Amino acid sequence: MAAVTLTNVVKRFGTFEVVHGANIAIADGEFVVFVGPSGCGKSTLLRMIAGLEDISGGEIAIGGKLVNDVEAADRGIAMVFQSYALYPHMTVEQNLSFGLRMNGNPKADTDRRVKRAAGILCIEELMQRRPKQLSGGQRQRVAIGRAIVREPQVFLFDEPLSNLDAELRVQMRVEISRLHKELGVTMIYVTHDQTEAMTLADRIVVLKAGNVEQIGAPLDLYDDPANRFVAGFIGSPKMNFLKANVVEQDQRSVTVELANHGGAKLKKPLCEALPAVGTEVVLGVRPEHFFEVGEGDCDIPVKADVAEHLGSVSYVYANAGAEELVVEREAARQRASGDHFTVSIKAERSLLFDKTGARIR
Amino acid sequence: MTSRSQRRLGRSILLHLFLTPLALVWLFPLWMMVVFSTMPDNGIFSPGIELLPHDGFLDNFNNLQRDTNFVGAIGISVSVAVTYTFLSVLLTSMAGWALARYEFLGKGLVVAIIFGTITLPYAVVLIPQFIMVARDFQLANTWIALIVPPLFNSLGVLFMRQAFSMMPAELFDAARVEGVKEWRIFLFVALPLARPMLAALAIILFLASWNNYLWPLLINSQPGAMTAPVALGTLIGLTKVSWGGIMAGAVMLTVPMLIVFVLLQRHFIAGIAAGAVK
Amino acid sequence: MRYRNATAYRFLTPYLLIFAIFWIWPIISSFLISFQATRTLPWRFAPAFNWGRLIGDPAFFNALKNTLLILVIQVPVMISLAVVMAVLLNSPLLKARGLYRFAFFAPVVVGEVAYSAVFRLMFSLDFGIINKLLNSVGLEKIDWFSNVTPAMALIMIAVTWRWAGYNAIIILAGLQSIPEDVYEAATLDRVSKVKQFFHITLPLLKPVIVFCAVLSIIGTMQLFTEPFLITERGGPGGGTETLGLLLYRQGFRSLNFGYASAIAYTMAGLAIAITLVQLWLMREPK
Repeated sequence: MAAVTLTNVVKRFGTFEVVHGANIAIADGEFVVFVGPSGCGKSTLLRMIAGLEDISGGEIAIGGKLVNDVEAADRGIAMVFQSYALYPHMTVEQNLSFGLRMNGNPKADTDRRVKRAAGILCIEELMQRRPKQLSGGQRQRVAIGRAIVREPQVFLFDEPLSNLDAELRVQMRVEISRLHKELGVTMIYVTHDQTEAMTLADRIVVLKAGNVEQIGAPLDLYDDPANRFVAGFIGSPKMNFLKANVVEQDQRSVTVELANHGGAKLKKPLCEALPAVGTEVVLGVRPEHFFEVGEGDCDIPVKADVAEHLGSVSYVYANAGAEELVVEREAARQRASGDHFTVSIKAERSLLFDKTGARIR
Repeated sequence: MTSRSQRRLGRSILLHLFLTPLALVWLFPLWMMVVFSTMPDNGIFSPGIELLPHDGFLDNFNNLQRDTNFVGAIGISVSVAVTYTFLSVLLTSMAGWALARYEFLGKGLVVAIIFGTITLPYAVVLIPQFIMVARDFQLANTWIALIVPPLFNSLGVLFMRQAFSMMPAELFDAARVEGVKEWRIFLFVALPLARPMLAALAIILFLASWNNYLWPLLINSQPGAMTAPVALGTLIGLTKVSWGGIMAGAVMLTVPMLIVFVLLQRHFIAGIAAGAVK
Repeated sequence: MRYRNATAYRFLTPYLLIFAIFWIWPIISSFLISFQATRTLPWRFAPAFNWGRLIGDPAFFNALKNTLLILVIQVPVMISLAVVMAVLLNSPLLKARGLYRFAFFAPVVVGEVAYSAVFRLMFSLDFGIINKLLNSVGLEKIDWFSNVTPAMALIMIAVTWRWAGYNAIIILAGLQSIPEDVYEAATLDRVSKVKQFFHITLPLLKPVIVFCAVLSIIGTMQLFTEPFLITERGGPGGGTETLGLLLYRQGFRSLNFGYASAIAYTMAGLAIAITLVQLWLMREPK
């Protein structure tokens, strides 16, 4: 088992820089998820940790040992790939044992490890089949099994669930969580799916265009995002962003006027430097943080365009001015398109961002 | 009013009425090769039209063997083709693997040189190759002369490069992470997966070597060192020669390849369709 | 990707050695030899010796003329035939497809020597099956070997027979890569089969056809075995002598390596020109 430390890690393809100095410290036994939209550099980072990509700048250490120039095979890592990367011409058993056999590991030990991995993943009956004869979920298990067989210090997962259907994805998610508890090994997991990130991670690393935007526990990111990007990326449906202007300022708070909602005003207490009167700002409100009239600090009238009823919860899409709002309601089955209703915003359940997207606390 | 199926039938008949005579014309030379190979010379040179095989193949073969040591030449041809095919598949798939799967200094240059010279006619290198092999290396009339120079063929490299680069990269990364050495990844992961492509390449290369005429004609012209096509070629145009024998030789060169073609048609066509060999 | 210089060159070196010795060096060497007088030892540098002789040599222009004539007539005929074969073989209406495929593709495996021998025998004046068949339907028999025009025709027929199926295989593969739904859409738009062929199939096949044409041109340009064996060393009287044959005679009968190299480089020049035309034809429309 081992901690993983990235210090100022840079990746360039030719002159094109795709990772701009990442600093990430992952504790021993931690489950860390790299999340971000496609092209944010998350897979590149993972492949640099794996040793499949050269490191253009900075340092990566695994278990306290600098690994920049260490071959992938000698880094004590195992990796599960998006396409599973099972050898199509080998049986499941041969797939699991291939790496060990090729490196002259004693046969008895290889057998023991393969048996153990098969046991953990309940794939004992599949050992003589070839990848073609397996379902997507079974292939996924074999791919994970192949990683377990290596008995690595660090597990790396590169979008391992993106080829599975929705139901299986939930099932495998739980399974990977269980595996982490059982093995207690450091795991680094790359995904573009914030739900996977929220449910699996001890800590999440949010990446955008080669920069680390924020690192933190899932609920910390949800409650206290560092900027507008993280606020929008974590949470589903996405946070609403309402244009606003600062109209008043006193000791510890500012009052903002919503630009598209008929002069509605919200007084927002802040603890850091206050924005000046007249500053354009953005107010972020999650769909689940719109309250009934009078419950909050600022009421805004909206008109429903489309209502989606999922049973336990309903989403109402409302157009107000140039802004589309998504409102989540638990008991709103009666809402239909065209309805007029009023929602309320609470100051402590809203976030303020400046024009560049940085958080105003 | 004609129905859909009637119109389809009409088109189908038209298609077969056109294609059948063309197919027969195309098969005719092959058929005549077989017919000639079974006729005595006085049959071939008689005024009548003979379109069916006789029973003189063995006589013709004996005549051929009298005119030239054809069995020996076939032996050389088979050994050379087998060795050449094995070596060429090995060399070109190794090179194709490197070009498909590694980043390295000078890669652009190597690819540019291979691509840039691929359409140059073989005739350009014929004379220097001949001078080098015959005069400088003193290797005329040896097996090495037949096998080694033709190994330069770069179409195989491009074919295998294509085959390897179509495989998912994660497969090889997975092996790398598991600590499998590069040459073992090549041997135990890449090559087994490339089996259909290797088969196609091997068949095309074997055929090319088996039928190769110009280079063996130039470099191995001594009677004991000739390949079968060269040995047969020396007889064409001689006055006192058995044409039935020549035809028997032609059949012996052609029929095995036709059988291979029928059995392995899929690989054959894959190889040609990919432009594996000029 | 990681840079792996040592590994890559370990895989490449065996091939590159052969490639350098038997391809790259000869290309250079041949060029140098073409500027040397090689009739007497020691060879000496004399640029005008071979190239000067070339532009004044009627034998060279005869061979060049014959080669180009074969190119201009045989290649288009063969490619058209190959397209027809491929399209018809691809028809869903065709029964016994395997037999037809065998008929057209079989010549691909036949060696030059074997088929040259058969053609020579089939077309011989008095006893050739072709003339016997012509006679039997009341036509004059043709002296294929003593007159230039029939002799050239014979070479073209032989080459077409040998290579049409080969090109049809490549074109057929191209045809099969055209998605079926394109034709279904056209059928729904009431576009006739014939119009579909000219407005969908041919444009989509253009790159493949150009590829085949270039392969065929470069192959035909080096034509050697057929005039060597069928029409007996380019007979009658040099009437079917090609550049390939002239190169053979000069290089390996007269052992005049310098002059033969100059001929070879003339062929290379033609090949390069043709390749450039191909690149131009295949360029992406802006």
